[in-house]
Amino acid sequence: MPIKNPNGNAVRHQVNRRQFLGRVGWGGVGMTALVAGAGRARASTQVSPYPDWIVASSKPPKRGGAITRASSWDPPVLDPRLTQSIGLYQFAALVTNRLVRYPFADEASGTNDLTLKGDLAESWGASPDHRVWTFKLRQGVKWQNVPPLNGRELVAADIKYCFEAYAKEGVQSFTFREIEAMETPDKSTLRVHLKTPNVLFAHNLAEPVTVIFPREVLEEDGDLKKRLIGTGPYILKEHTRKVRVVLARNPDYWDKGRPYLDEYTILSTPDAATRLAAFRTGQSDILWVASLGEVETVRKTNPAAVVQEYKNVLAPFGLSLAQDRPPFNDVRVRRAISMAVDRQRQVDTLFEGHGIPGWGVPYIYYQDKMPTLAQLGPWWQYRPAEAKKLLAEAGHPNGFETTLFYYEYNPQMTSQVQLVQQDLKKNLNINIKITKLDYTTYYGRYVDLKWDGIAWGFQSGHAVGLDERTYMYMHSKSTKNFFRVNDPVIDELTSKLRQTPERAEQRVLTKKIVDREFDQVLRMWMPFDNGFLMFQPHLRNMAAGALRRSDGYGASTIARLWLDK
Amino acid sequence: MYKYVIRRLLLAVPVLLLSSLIVFGLMRVMPGDALIALMGESGNVGERELQKLRKDLGLDRPYHEQYLIWMWQMVSFNPGDSIFTNEPIPVALKKAIPVTLELATLAIILGLIIAIPVGVLSATRQDKPSDYVGRVVAVSGLSLPDFWLGTLVITFAAIWFHWIPPIGYVSIWESPARNLQQFLLPAAVLGFRLSSATMRMTRSTVLEVLREDYVRTARAKGLGGRIVVYKHALKNALIPVVTIVGGQLGTLLAGTVIVETIFALPGMGRLTVEAILFRDYPVVQTNVMLVAGTLVTLNLLVDLSYAWLDPRIRYQ
Repeated sequence: MPIKNPNGNAVRHQVNRRQFLGRVGWGGVGMTALVAGAGRARASTQVSPYPDWIVASSKPPKRGGAITRASSWDPPVLDPRLTQSIGLYQFAALVTNRLVRYPFADEASGTNDLTLKGDLAESWGASPDHRVWTFKLRQGVKWQNVPPLNGRELVAADIKYCFEAYAKEGVQSFTFREIEAMETPDKSTLRVHLKTPNVLFAHNLAEPVTVIFPREVLEEDGDLKKRLIGTGPYILKEHTRKVRVVLARNPDYWDKGRPYLDEYTILSTPDAATRLAAFRTGQSDILWVASLGEVETVRKTNPAAVVQEYKNVLAPFGLSLAQDRPPFNDVRVRRAISMAVDRQRQVDTLFEGHGIPGWGVPYIYYQDKMPTLAQLGPWWQYRPAEAKKLLAEAGHPNGFETTLFYYEYNPQMTSQVQLVQQDLKKNLNINIKITKLDYTTYYGRYVDLKWDGIAWGFQSGHAVGLDERTYMYMHSKSTKNFFRVNDPVIDELTSKLRQTPERAEQRVLTKKIVDREFDQVLRMWMPFDNGFLMFQPHLRNMAAGALRRSDGYGASTIARLWLDK
Repeated sequence: MYKYVIRRLLLAVPVLLLSSLIVFGLMRVMPGDALIALMGESGNVGERELQKLRKDLGLDRPYHEQYLIWMWQMVSFNPGDSIFTNEPIPVALKKAIPVTLELATLAIILGLIIAIPVGVLSATRQDKPSDYVGRVVAVSGLSLPDFWLGTLVITFAAIWFHWIPPIGYVSIWESPARNLQQFLLPAAVLGFRLSSATMRMTRSTVLEVLREDYVRTARAKGLGGRIVVYKHALKNALIPVVTIVGGQLGTLLAGTVIVETIFALPGMGRLTVEAILFRDYPVVQTNVMLVAGTLVTLNLLVDLSYAWLDPRIRYQ
């Protein structure tokens, strides 16, 4: 089933190779050996030989051709007001546009390039206090030539209508409820008045989920569940649930000459082994794999496949403690727990040495290089003796009992949860009763924020902006504050960040937020694997940006993809 | 016989009613709902808004009201829309049922093609090497889970033959050749498992029948071995086999989810499991009732077939 993954990474909800190997048991030992012999090569090194960025092709792009991707995701509905599911956003940004966007693979200087580019907006700017934002729309942009739009011109009133609809209800409301009022002085100007200053407002509009939809469809259908029409490079030609999504080139696209491909087909393929087989046999042009071992396996049959190492800039999962009540409201308890968890062992054993130790705010917002475990501060090092001492100081010399619930987002997660359980029992005598839940039960419990003990927490991957990763996830008043952070210093810093336009100052402030988070262990991030994007050798301009995988939320970059055949 | 059929059909009513109560109750006992599944992760939707949406969908009504509304929808053949996707349930079923039906039918056919001859061969050559081979294969079929066999088949097909069934379901009416390519391997995986039980049952019942007096009489009349086995013995030996196959068909209608997932087929299994995961009450309830109804009907047909296979059987 097309279940969402908060970061769009490594979703393997159905039986995949690892689960398959794990489940076979003794009865399958012989055949497992055969499978291994047939193609698996285990990675023995932590260093990946693959580049983490693939520069755009210098050749002139060729028009034509089609690509196919076997995808684990399926859109639950087509209504961007109702879901942030990667199933929808793996193609929504190809059918529609946003006002502004992050750079495509052929424009970006590297994976961490977060320079804003105009999408439907030609230019934009804010008043000195960053409460009023003005967007000048491109001239000559037309809605796709399908009923009921029939290629009519896009005007500023369309954007206003769309933003009002987002604010009214649904999953995008947080961003759009910041808007106090909107004006459209002429057909190509939109002026947005915010309730409070926010220097990052334009960045929030660049998120892949803030796509512009047409008023006509919402008015005719009452919702957007069945039709997705936009101004984007591709027209949604077919959407058959659990089968395929077919996108056909929009011949009237405003960015003349683009897109290059005639058709892009996404095939619903929930099983990881089948996706891998599809790539091997050429039925799929793009493949995401989690481990270096899997890359080597695929390259045995497809040596020409291009591989990009994807270095995660944040970890999506961590221990979310009920820190608004005892015993987790005591910082010493949180620090002790953090020091009792051997993160490096998780990286080595679960992710074949190819993973990050875990942090929540993307490091690219405050430093250039990926942090090492040592740089995360004293409470993030594995020091069981000190942890035990600290827990005793906090009044729990003999440990305590607690609970942990989780949803198995990926096959490694159960092992990871059990390793944490083992570490805390061994080092602190904390007994954790684990409950594994299905997706809906997990969210039903997690988002109501009334649970006790520990949850295996997450941050979703639909948005990459600094505002999303700081204010929206950490401010005590935010509805996305799933980790129940309630720290006046964090509140002050995240609010101040929203009023700090200078990039250099933003970096300093973000670093302060992160340092405070690490020091107080407000969110206890756990290691996460990196991954690898593999694609057929004839694809050009396919590289994935940080947090914007081109097979997921960063799909809009496929507008620049072309085939060198 | 008509009285028997009518009596059985009347008995089916309480069975279906009980099924409806169980599935309705179980779905309501499970925590979370479709709105949480769809929107909860965003963290942007407040409880008040969720309550409003639940009201719009009628999920705030008392359970007995929801049940009665649903029952009325079922008897009026209008099960409503999916609350997760908004798609009318009959439309979703119209797409999913042919897939599962085709898969199940092909699997049963392939299973029978393997099971009957191997079962008969095993029985007629009891304790010979061919019997041992047949029995080992049958035990393997019973022991190997679908997800393992399916994954293995698709992985090795890709590595060795650089081929796997085309992904992206097409109906048999659109492209029979492509459709057959898509169904043959999954049906073989399912059929292999099904054939095991059928083969073992065929073997033991044929063995039993071959010891009957009328078979000895047939041989004494000078009939050839093949005619004795296939014309006289096999038909009588088939009653338990038909029972098993009828049960298998019923199970297949809801139990192909693993194979559908591996081979990316959009059948009833995937539809039902997704609906359960996302608390899509109307879809789950309708699917369960459909399977329950099909099982009741299949059981009746199986029972009726006994008289055709053995004319001595009478219905009262």
